[in-house]
Amino acid sequence: MLRIEEHPILTFDKSKTVTFTFDGKEIEGYEGDTIASALHAAGVKVMGHHYDSGRPRGFYCAIGNCGACLMVVNGEPNIRVCVEPLVEGLVVETQSNKGDLV
Amino acid sequence: MKEVDIAIIGGGPAGLMAAEAAASSGANVVLLERDGHLGGQLVKQTHKFFGSEKQYASTRGIYIANILEDKLKEMPDKVEIWKGATAIGLYEDDVLAVEVGKEIKKLKAKRFIVATGASEKSLVFVNNELPGIYGAGAVQTLMNVNGVRPGQRVLMVGAGNIGLIVSYQLLQAGVEVAAIIDAAPTIGGYLVHASKIRRAGVPILTSHTVTRAYGKESVEGATLVALDEQWQPLPGTEKEVAVDVICISVGLSPLAELLWHAGCEMHYIPQLGGHVPIRDKNLKTNVDAVYIAGDITGIEEASSAMVEGRLAGLTASASIGFKHDDYEAEVLDCNEQLRSLRAGPVGEHINQGMALVTSGE
Amino acid sequence: MYLRTGVADKELVVNTIPSDERRQKGPYVFIECYQEIPCDPCTKICPFGSILPMDDINDLPRTDYDTCTGCTICAAICPGLAIFIIDETYSETEGTVGIPYEFSPLPAKGDVVEAMNRAGEVICDATVLRVNPNKKRQSTPLVTLVVPKELIMEVRFFRLKKNAADALPEVDPYDEENLPDSTVICRCENVTLGEVRALIDEGYDNVDEIKRISRAGMGPCQGRTCRPLIMGEIRRKTGKEFDEIELGAFRPPTKPIQFEQLMGGEEDDN
Repeated sequence: MLRIEEHPILTFDKSKTVTFTFDGKEIEGYEGDTIASALHAAGVKVMGHHYDSGRPRGFYCAIGNCGACLMVVNGEPNIRVCVEPLVEGLVVETQSNKGDLV
Repeated sequence: MKEVDIAIIGGGPAGLMAAEAAASSGANVVLLERDGHLGGQLVKQTHKFFGSEKQYASTRGIYIANILEDKLKEMPDKVEIWKGATAIGLYEDDVLAVEVGKEIKKLKAKRFIVATGASEKSLVFVNNELPGIYGAGAVQTLMNVNGVRPGQRVLMVGAGNIGLIVSYQLLQAGVEVAAIIDAAPTIGGYLVHASKIRRAGVPILTSHTVTRAYGKESVEGATLVALDEQWQPLPGTEKEVAVDVICISVGLSPLAELLWHAGCEMHYIPQLGGHVPIRDKNLKTNVDAVYIAGDITGIEEASSAMVEGRLAGLTASASIGFKHDDYEAEVLDCNEQLRSLRAGPVGEHINQGMALVTSGE
Repeated sequence: MYLRTGVADKELVVNTIPSDERRQKGPYVFIECYQEIPCDPCTKICPFGSILPMDDINDLPRTDYDTCTGCTICAAICPGLAIFIIDETYSETEGTVGIPYEFSPLPAKGDVVEAMNRAGEVICDATVLRVNPNKKRQSTPLVTLVVPKELIMEVRFFRLKKNAADALPEVDPYDEENLPDSTVICRCENVTLGEVRALIDEGYDNVDEIKRISRAGMGPCQGRTCRPLIMGEIRRKTGKEFDEIELGAFRPPTKPIQFEQLMGGEEDDN
C-alpha cells in the first residue's frame, strides 16, 4: 500500500473516494488526486509505451513540464495525467501511439 | 481582449510577492497560475525555511503559500487571479496567449513579470527513462500533495539541498532511502540538512554516480560506481543496489520559453543553472515590457525568489507611472535583502553568475 | 570530511562546548551549525538574547552560555534541525539530550529507543524522558532522551524499535558496458545516445540541427528534458561551451494544445 497513513506534518483528506477505470479495470482514488497519483497509489507505474520502441513510460516531473505521462482519457489522447485532476467516472487508458486526429 | 497594467506569469513565491508589490503600488494586476492552486512549489515544502524574518524563515513552505495568497485577497479590486491558466506564448506586440480551461484567451499588458520558475534537469544513464525514475520534485508532489509514497526503497541521485530535503521527506513518509549519491567530491546542499539525514542512518556517497537502472517494466535496481578526482569511473567499484525508485535531483534549469518568444537576450550561465536573460538592476530584460523574478533569473532559494518578486513588482509598476509611496526605501530594502542572502560562501556562485548578466547600477 | 560525509568532525563540535563549570550548572543549548548560510531565526527568537545577534545573516550562531537556560525555544524553530538541548546534571551517570524529531509516530514518555550518533550508527539504548510535540506553533517536536553521560556529545538521533522495512529482492543487472549507444537520451521521441553521437561525429554540432534530423526535442516536453543532455554530449565531443551551442527557435505554444482550441480562440478586435 503506497498511501501515506501517518505523517509528522501533513494530513491527507481521504473522505471522498473517486472511482475510475484504467484499461477497463475499476480503480479507486480520492478527491484531490491527479490521475497519475491515483494510478501510482494503485501500483500502476507504467502509463504507456513509446509509440515506436514500445519501451515502458511513466511520469517524470509530475508538474506538467516533461510530457512523459501522456494517456488516453475519456477517449482523448495526449493528456498529461500528472496534472489532470481525478474525477468520478473517468475512463483512462494506456497510450501506445501518437494519438489519432478525430 | 483583456487589457491590464501588469500581467504576472507564475503564482509561486516570486509571482505572489510581485502581485502584492504591484497592486500596493496602484497597478491593476492579473496573476496567472497554470495549476489549480497558488503557491507553486511551496505547496510541497514541508520543511522550515531558512533566511530571515522578512522571507518567513522558520515557517514551513506549505504555510507561506497561504500567507501570501491571503495578502492578495485583501486587494480584490487590484488583483485578478486566474488559476488553471497556462501562458502558451508571449508575442512582440505585448500580447500573451493564455489557455484557460479549454479556451485560448489573449491578454494585453503594459508590463509582464515572468516568474515561471524552473524545470528539473535529467541525467543520462542506461535505462534512464524507465518508470520508477522520477524527478525529486515529482516525488515531493506525489508524497506531500497527494499523500502517495513513490515506492518502498529509493536511491537519491544528487546531494544538493533538494536531494537532501526530499530524502528527509521520504523518511518522514515511511520510505527507506538506500543512499544519497553525488558525482561531486563534496556535498552541495546545506550541511545541517546532510547531518540530519546522516544521523537517521542514510549513507551519503560523494564521488559516486549511477551508471544504469535495471528492471523490466519499472525500476528494480541500479548500478553505482565510484569516481576518481577527474570524475572518471573507478573500475572495480561497481555495486548493485536494489531499489524500486531512483530519484533524480541534479539541479534545475530556468523555464524560460516565454522569454525566448519575447526576444530576450539569453546566455548560458552555469552558476545560474542554464540559459537566463540579461537584465538591469530593476530586473527588466532587454525587452522594455518584460521583467523577471524568481528562478528564471537564475536558480536560487525561495527566499530570494520572494524578494525578487517584490522588487520586480515595484519597479515594473513604477516604469508605467504607479510608484509605491515608499518606493526608494522599498527598493533599497529589497536590494539589501538580496545582498545579504547572497553574501555568504554559498552565495558566491550566484553573485558571479549575476554579475555576468546584470547591467547598470 | 564534513563536506564529504555530512558528519561534523570532532574538532568542529569540541570548539563550541561550554566550560566544564557551565556544564555542571544545568541545561544548555548546543548548536551544530558549522557552515555559513543565510539564516538567522535563532538569534531573533531567544527570549534571553543568548544567541548573539549576527552582523551578517551568513554568520555562524554564537551562544552566550552564561545567560542560556536551555529553554528549547530555539530548537523548535531552527530550519536546519541543528539545535540540541544538553543537560549533564540529570543524574550521577546520566545526562539528557533534547533532539529535534520530525517523524511520525512520536515516541511516548518511557519508551526505550535506539540512540544514534551523527553518522546514524546505533550506539546505545535510551529512555524517552519528555516529548514536546510543539503542535501549536507548527514547529519541530523535541524528544528528550536519557543517555549515559559519556555519550552526551555523541547521541544526536534515535529510532523506534521496530522491524526494518521489507527489503526488495535482489535482481540480476544487465551485463552491458556503461552508457552504451542504446541508452535513450530523448524519451519523447526515443532517440538514443548512439544516434546523437553519430550526428555529432558527422559534424552536426548544435541542438537545432540534431533536432531537425533526429526529432530529439520535438516531443511533448519540447526539449525540456533532453536539451541539456544533448548540450552535454555536444560539449563532451566537440569542446564547444554551452553558450556557443545554437539551440534553435523557441515557438509557442508551451504545451500541447488542441487544434480545436486554437480555432476557437479570441478574435482580434483591433
